[in-house]
Amino acid sequence: MTMYKRHPLAFLGLIEGPQTMGRGWPFWLCFAIIVVLAFLAPTQFGIKPYRVNEFLVSGFLAASLSILWGYAGILSLGQAAFFGVGGYVYGIIGINLFEVTGNTHLALVGGILAPTVFAAVVGAVMFYARLKGVYIAILMLVLSLLLETFMLQTADPNVYHVGDALLGGANGLRPASDIPSIAFGWGEAALEINGRREGFYYFALTLLIVVYLGLRMLLNSSFGYLLVAVREDSDRTETFGYDVRRIKLAVFCLSAVLAGLAGSLDTARINRVDPELVFSVSANIMVVIWVAVGGRKDLTTAILGAISLEWVYLWLTTSGSPEYATLVMGGILVVAMLIAPEGLFVWIGTRLGKLSGRVRRPLAKAKEAHQCRP
Amino acid sequence: MDAFTQIFGFAFQYLDSAAYLILAALGLSIIFGMMGVINMAHGELMMVGAYITALCMYAGVPAPIAILLAGVGAGLVGMVLERLIIRHFYKQILSSLVVTWGLSMIISQLFLIMFGPNMPSLPTPYSDIKILVGGDIGLAIVGAKGFAQVTADTGRMPLGVESFGIYRLIMFVVAVLMVLAVWLLLQKSEFGARARATMDNPTMANALGISTPRIYALTFGLGSALAGLAGGLFALTSAITPYFGAAYTARAFITVVVGGAAGIINGLVASVAALGGVQTVLSNMFSVYIGFVGMIAAAFLILLFMPTGISGYIEKLKGRSR
Repeated sequence: MTMYKRHPLAFLGLIEGPQTMGRGWPFWLCFAIIVVLAFLAPTQFGIKPYRVNEFLVSGFLAASLSILWGYAGILSLGQAAFFGVGGYVYGIIGINLFEVTGNTHLALVGGILAPTVFAAVVGAVMFYARLKGVYIAILMLVLSLLLETFMLQTADPNVYHVGDALLGGANGLRPASDIPSIAFGWGEAALEINGRREGFYYFALTLLIVVYLGLRMLLNSSFGYLLVAVREDSDRTETFGYDVRRIKLAVFCLSAVLAGLAGSLDTARINRVDPELVFSVSANIMVVIWVAVGGRKDLTTAILGAISLEWVYLWLTTSGSPEYATLVMGGILVVAMLIAPEGLFVWIGTRLGKLSGRVRRPLAKAKEAHQCRP
Repeated sequence: MDAFTQIFGFAFQYLDSAAYLILAALGLSIIFGMMGVINMAHGELMMVGAYITALCMYAGVPAPIAILLAGVGAGLVGMVLERLIIRHFYKQILSSLVVTWGLSMIISQLFLIMFGPNMPSLPTPYSDIKILVGGDIGLAIVGAKGFAQVTADTGRMPLGVESFGIYRLIMFVVAVLMVLAVWLLLQKSEFGARARATMDNPTMANALGISTPRIYALTFGLGSALAGLAGGLFALTSAITPYFGAAYTARAFITVVVGGAAGIINGLVASVAALGGVQTVLSNMFSVYIGFVGMIAAAFLILLFMPTGISGYIEKLKGRSR
């Protein structure tokens, strides 16, 4: 049997393709400029890491909902549940093991694995029961609220503790002072990354770029095409012989990996995690707002949406009161859904693309194809 | 506690939780069943109703009128929202979900900014009338005077006697009446016929001279008005905050989905009977939290076997037997 041999590095070509916006030198030039500016920001432009580190964490969370909702068409209104489970597990393992190992390798692994296993179980039940659309969306929200209710009543230290870590009810994981920042290496040589400093900024930024580029390749591979096929017409995908349930479960778990990573990073960043912060309605709705306003059907726009809206939110809370900030965020969501249902950055991106004539419009095309269908 | 008291207490709790589920879900089920829109702002419309009731009652308006005004107010708010925003999202179920969630956030924040984190709570009507069950008393409905007589000897309730507030029963009766009224409106009235025609085939209905946009607005307004009435009734039993409604949205939604869209009213009744039962039994045996978890688990199991809800399943059985 002869097989067409591909160049071993051929997968790098997948970094651009019809499933992701942006291609050719104009896009990558912009990308490079943004990356360089981002790396220079703390030293050159006086950007305060303790303020913007949160934005980077949001980027992972937005990516996780974008691949799930935007690409595979599975809306989850409880995406923060995975974020929260990741955050709690990171904290629990960190509190127990940091003294012994001096690093947070296991805490990070646990913070990513736990929500993934959680998603695998919940997802298997949901997708193999052939639940669809609204049901999944609401069920995930309910799940997140159940977790919140459960965590809120775990104040009793004698009952609710895992090793040295107390679940702590509404106050969140205790002792909060013992939730370690991210640390790599062993013993004396361990490198600890303080979540309020530049170190975390550079670390999270690098990780976000790596994850972003990796996801671009994944989405332009056959897996990405399958996701879009499931979104556009899952019955037809099934007729072609694909197991739609398995594809959905896979993307659900992948999104939990990303959300768990975000949750672990966030707990490490502020050395704190509490039920209201991670499981509440407002935690869940923020993720949906970033992704819906930025543009759910594209990875780049979803991440841009998260970072820019976090910026707006920060600006609103520091210049006004948090009540008004939340009000404005709701307003932005509704207005964006009305005037740019595909997302603000998709709208901008397609116009820029027309301008340069080099950006193809997979989204518009997919939409066209969708509309042509009887 | 003897068996009679236990059974009575159980039945009372069952009616209580059924009343809450029916009231919370009725408006949502009309909007979901007839328009296919999931209104995540449903709880906030209930909250609007609760605030209108509270503001009216502070001003001295009697409770029944205040609650009716709440229904009217919430209905108007709903119609405005439908015309401004929701009409752009018909047939896009996930988008309508997201946009109404945004609306719920806006409404609750607006009320937080306007009225602050909480309102002075309202007195529960007829709170001095109690139903006493058990012991030597048997079953008795007593006013404040009678209550004082019963407790005169010991200063507290005699052993084995349980007391229940009567307002919960009134709520149940009102809930049943509301279900009946909605059923009559949809099945027997001119508006109901037009609405069902519009939902069945909008183009045809429009061609026959029915103003479909008006029907949509009115249906959404009706659902919102029912939410407002429910909010007004609930306002008399619980604390009134801007996040008042959020607790009900998920519950109402689960009830509606389990009921299914094939038959709005019978689905809702069946679903409330099942879910209310599970919740009552588990809350009694374990805790309120377990009761809620159990209710969701039950809803999930029902959906596993009947993906179109209970009413959809009934329709299917009917189709098979024919």
